[in-house]
Amino acid sequence: MAKHSIMVIDDEKIVGDMAKLSFEQDGYEVETFLNGESALGRLKDKPFDVVVTDLKMKGVDGLEVLRTVKKLYPGIVVILITAFANLDVAIEALRNDVHDFFPKPVKFKELKASIKRALGDE
Amino acid sequence: MKIEHKLYLSNAVHILLIVLIGIFALRNLNAILTKFRFTVIAEGLNATFLEMRLAEKNYFLYGDEEALTRIRNSTKKTTDTLQRVKPEIIRAVGAANYIKLQDYLNKYTKLVESIGKAGHRNASSQKKKLREAGQVLKTFSEDMTALESERIGTIIGRSKNILLYSFWAVVLFALLLSNLIVRNIGHSLRTINDLTREIARGNYQKIEAKPSRDEMGAVLKAINAMAEELRKREKEIVQSKRLASIGLLVAGVAHELNNPLNNISMIAQTYAEAYDRLGKEERVGFMERVGEETERLRVIVHPLLDYAKPKKQYLARAAANQVIQKTLALVKNMLDISNIKIRQNLAQELPDIFIDKHQIQQVLVNMATNVIQAMSKGGELSITTRYLEDDDDVEIEIRDNGKGIPPEFLDHIFDPFFTTKEESGTGLGLWVSYGIVKNHQGNIRVRSKVGVGTTFVITLPTCKKLGVA
Repeated sequence: MAKHSIMVIDDEKIVGDMAKLSFEQDGYEVETFLNGESALGRLKDKPFDVVVTDLKMKGVDGLEVLRTVKKLYPGIVVILITAFANLDVAIEALRNDVHDFFPKPVKFKELKASIKRALGDE
Repeated sequence: MKIEHKLYLSNAVHILLIVLIGIFALRNLNAILTKFRFTVIAEGLNATFLEMRLAEKNYFLYGDEEALTRIRNSTKKTTDTLQRVKPEIIRAVGAANYIKLQDYLNKYTKLVESIGKAGHRNASSQKKKLREAGQVLKTFSEDMTALESERIGTIIGRSKNILLYSFWAVVLFALLLSNLIVRNIGHSLRTINDLTREIARGNYQKIEAKPSRDEMGAVLKAINAMAEELRKREKEIVQSKRLASIGLLVAGVAHELNNPLNNISMIAQTYAEAYDRLGKEERVGFMERVGEETERLRVIVHPLLDYAKPKKQYLARAAANQVIQKTLALVKNMLDISNIKIRQNLAQELPDIFIDKHQIQQVLVNMATNVIQAMSKGGELSITTRYLEDDDDVEIEIRDNGKGIPPEFLDHIFDPFFTTKEESGTGLGLWVSYGIVKNHQGNIRVRSKVGVGTTFVITLPTCKKLGVA
């Protein structure tokens, strides 16, 4: 049984660290990144199943990650987490085929349920 | 009185004067004309008298009847003329003189008749009387003429003088009047000029000018009303700016707090979820990280607490240069480490300012911090102080030759929580500094050019401007 892989992108290191612990507990393979560029670079080498990304980051931000992933790897599920919940952004994300949207502070239970649903749908 | 009315009045007075002078001149001219006409008549009379006397001489020399007839004719002609010009003569010399003239003429006529009857060789006494009467008539008539001519001369002379004087009087009067009006207008315009200049500077004070009920007074009143409006609006603008600032602040705070809160939340969830799997060090590590995140929260919240309480100022007279030098001593190490050279351009004589030294130092330290962030590879920081005489302010200029601030950021640079992507810190420093300077009735502005550098200019009022002893 292949493990599903999750990529977590957030410029707050703690988010990645905690997410990694939490997801690994459920049997996922997790890699964390502090910015969009390095994450997209990694995707070239490894096709992740799920990308969980923060919206507001310096450089390549969450929306750009979403667009790029959907363009290059449409099969990958993308979930946005953000401290910055705003209708325009939400609409834009929806238009770009985001799977789900979580405002911070994030409840891991809900996030994991969403991931499970997404992978179940596949 | 309205200026319009003043001008009308002035014009009316001038016209009146000119009309009066004109009437005066006309009357004199009329008088001269009448007298002149009389002299013509008088000359005519003289000529007739002469004719009469000639005929008389002729008769006495030759004694012929023809000469006598001629005398009779002349006397008749003279009597007729006298009768004809009676009104003119009476007007010129009076009724009494006319009667006298008539009497002598009658006497002459009678004498002529009696000499005629007696024959010219016999009437020697009558002849003498005749000669006398004739002489009287001649003299009388000549005197009359001379008198009239003299009178004409006098009138002309008098007219000439009066016209000359009144000409100068009118000119002077005109100059005086226009001078008065112009000065009045000029004074009002100057008042208005000063007033509007003050308003342009942002000083919306009412001008106490003597309320004149003319157009100028109306303008002054309007300007005062405008200044009042501006003052009200300014208060409103300051208020709404303050509210907007608070709005921005609240939004910024909420945003800034969110990440540390999320981190704490995630740590807590993971701690609870994975407690059994975590080792002691990991658990301890988690709690320590919670501590770090709460510290982040504290840093954000702390300056806000300051903002919430009205910041008490401990104001005192101070010398700007001194405060600057003290601050430079504080930050010198920091600047040296960052390879930043300090250049001081402090004015020799600066009036004192009235400040809370600690707060202003805080502002200057903040400026220094910004400079260090702008010039990560080192550079030059120059501080200049100068006295702005026109506004009675002390100006402190802090200039760096760092990377500069893009124009789209300049408008927001004093917003709470504003940071450019490269900056560290919460972005409250400049916002707090702005507040402090404003609380000192001062102003802080920024100029910048990308790649060239940034200049902060702080202006603070002098003790004198604030009316401080």
